[in-house]
Amino acid sequence: MLIRPVAEDFRIIGFFMGRVFAIFTVASLVPLLWAALAREWHPMSSFALMAGCYAALAAIGLRSSPKVRRLDWSHGMTVVALTWALAPLVGSIPLLLSGHWSGPLDSYFDAMSGLTTTGLSLVHDLDHLASSINFWRHFLHFLGGQGIILAALSLFAAGGGLTLYHGEAREERIMPSVTSTARFIWGVAIVHLVGGVVALTLVGWVTLGFSPMRSAFHGLMIFFAGFDTGGFAPQSTSLGYYHSGIFEAVTAVLMVAGAMSFGVHYALWRRNPGSVLRNLETRTILGSLGFTLVLTIVGLAVTGVYSSISGLARAGTFQLLSAHTGTGFATVSSAELRGWGGLEYGGIAIAMALGGMGSSTSGGVKALRIGLTLKAIGNQVRRVLLPDGAVVGTGYFQGSRKRLTPELAQSVMAVSLLYVALFLLGAGVGMAYGYSLQHALFESVSAGANVGLSVGVVDPTMMPAVLKLVFMLQMWAGRLEFVAVFALIGFLLAWVRGK
Amino acid sequence: MKRAVVIVWLAATSAVVGAAAPAEAQATSVEAIVLGSAEFDGIEITVEGELVGDYGNRDDGTTWAQLNGGSYVTMPLREGGARSGSNTGIGVMIPAGLAEGLDPAGGYGTRGPVVSLTGVWHHHDPDRGGESYLEVVGLDVIEEGRALSQPIAWWPLLAGLGFFGAAITLRVRSSTGES
Repeated sequence: MLIRPVAEDFRIIGFFMGRVFAIFTVASLVPLLWAALAREWHPMSSFALMAGCYAALAAIGLRSSPKVRRLDWSHGMTVVALTWALAPLVGSIPLLLSGHWSGPLDSYFDAMSGLTTTGLSLVHDLDHLASSINFWRHFLHFLGGQGIILAALSLFAAGGGLTLYHGEAREERIMPSVTSTARFIWGVAIVHLVGGVVALTLVGWVTLGFSPMRSAFHGLMIFFAGFDTGGFAPQSTSLGYYHSGIFEAVTAVLMVAGAMSFGVHYALWRRNPGSVLRNLETRTILGSLGFTLVLTIVGLAVTGVYSSISGLARAGTFQLLSAHTGTGFATVSSAELRGWGGLEYGGIAIAMALGGMGSSTSGGVKALRIGLTLKAIGNQVRRVLLPDGAVVGTGYFQGSRKRLTPELAQSVMAVSLLYVALFLLGAGVGMAYGYSLQHALFESVSAGANVGLSVGVVDPTMMPAVLKLVFMLQMWAGRLEFVAVFALIGFLLAWVRGK
Repeated sequence: MKRAVVIVWLAATSAVVGAAAPAEAQATSVEAIVLGSAEFDGIEITVEGELVGDYGNRDDGTTWAQLNGGSYVTMPLREGGARSGSNTGIGVMIPAGLAEGLDPAGGYGTRGPVVSLTGVWHHHDPDRGGESYLEVVGLDVIEEGRALSQPIAWWPLLAGLGFFGAAITLRVRSSTGES
């Protein structure tokens, strides 16, 4: 029987959402300041409106002051799901007012794409967009990739933090408490921020010959989009804009760092690479990277897209890494990517669907689930082949020695199947609008796995509104890995039909 | 025999004259190049568009930029042009001498110079790790760059301040009520 939520339930949810919106208020002052310094007065005014809306929502939420200031599982998941739906709605205000988006749905689409670190975009004339708006788009990647709820945890040490932490699809608790884990994750991000921006700025300035200010601008934008595996870029030609192998190499390092779980970061920080290499997840992702890279390179070679080894290796490897890490940077145009067929197209699409590691900034099914699924299938086959009574080992290493229980295998496979269903949903709707299976499936996987590579289905002039809504749902559900979304649906059902 | 000598002489002369005269570069558009990049590989082309982004002045004596085509070139969005989708752009490698004195490249507050570029299109150039770009040999400025303005909109600023005021009032009242 469903139990109808009472006023206290709404007060708890409102209070914790208020806390998260307070963080968004502070975050939105950064682009406002940027716009003022860059003397971009029109965008500055729209950032003031956005910040005011966040502040008002924060104040309304905090005013609800519940009697108990601890979250249970259902409340926490509902807070996460609602925050990830509402925050980009307010965050889309400056995009809408800039005049570079066709309407509220399109600007909401881009803000959702930014926060969920997807990178698909419906922007018109990106190359004349204000730098502050561009900053905000990329900053959304950073806020979403690092987990805005994590920020709330770091600052407020909120009661019931564990449920919020899991709600944002993070499973590994690296430190003894969730708050210290959250602070470690932000520490990792800040270290990479400094190193990554300095490296990219130097390449831009010394090698590419940009002015120091513009080098720093490009460095910051590409860092946000690369490390947080987002995929927005400040220019319309994405990473192809830079025409530089060194720039691509530095970006690739950041993308890989972003797709690594924070547990792996912690092990590396503790100088324990042996533990990293023993991890089932590391081995799975190395295997899937190798497999999809071979598919992509062989496909490109067979179809003769590149006539040189250097072209094949550089473009094939970068594009594959971009897909597998869930970043979505491109060094070729959508038109050219659309022309890729056969193995390389399949290699890129499979890599997008698999995604990076769990508890990282990337999306997709994730390497740990793939590894555990393969292990569960292998164990099942062994049980059939071995004599009755033979013992089949169910252990695996992931930070420490663990056991693959039937319940764990079931839950892993269920989430993996949900991803497949999510990909098929977008592909089906795309096909209903007349897109080919190949293109509809590619773009749907890109949205559901929060990648951002596009073969042109996401187009600001031609994309049907229903397909935009479906892709937004895919980005949202894919980023939260379903649990928080189902909890929200359950909460709403209980509200409507509960007793 | 005499006739044969004349034919050979005429053929040789026309070949020499043909080689000396500059070959006509094929006029095309940025959109056509993006859609059919491989078809233009190694061909000398002339293409028009707006230079946007940055001028990357590299140590090898070249300047890299992005050349955009499409309707935003003729009518920028900020000057009332229609929203016509994503930009369509190609990379161009210009000898530094030709790029000297160009107006700032297009961006938020700037409409970049509209130029006609002549050069050889390289599709997935093996010498540059598979990049595609136009190697420019000739540059004509069709239209100088100019500033684009976007005046401040006051209502979002005032509404934002209003929301801020309301938020602060709510917080103060809540704090007073709690205490």
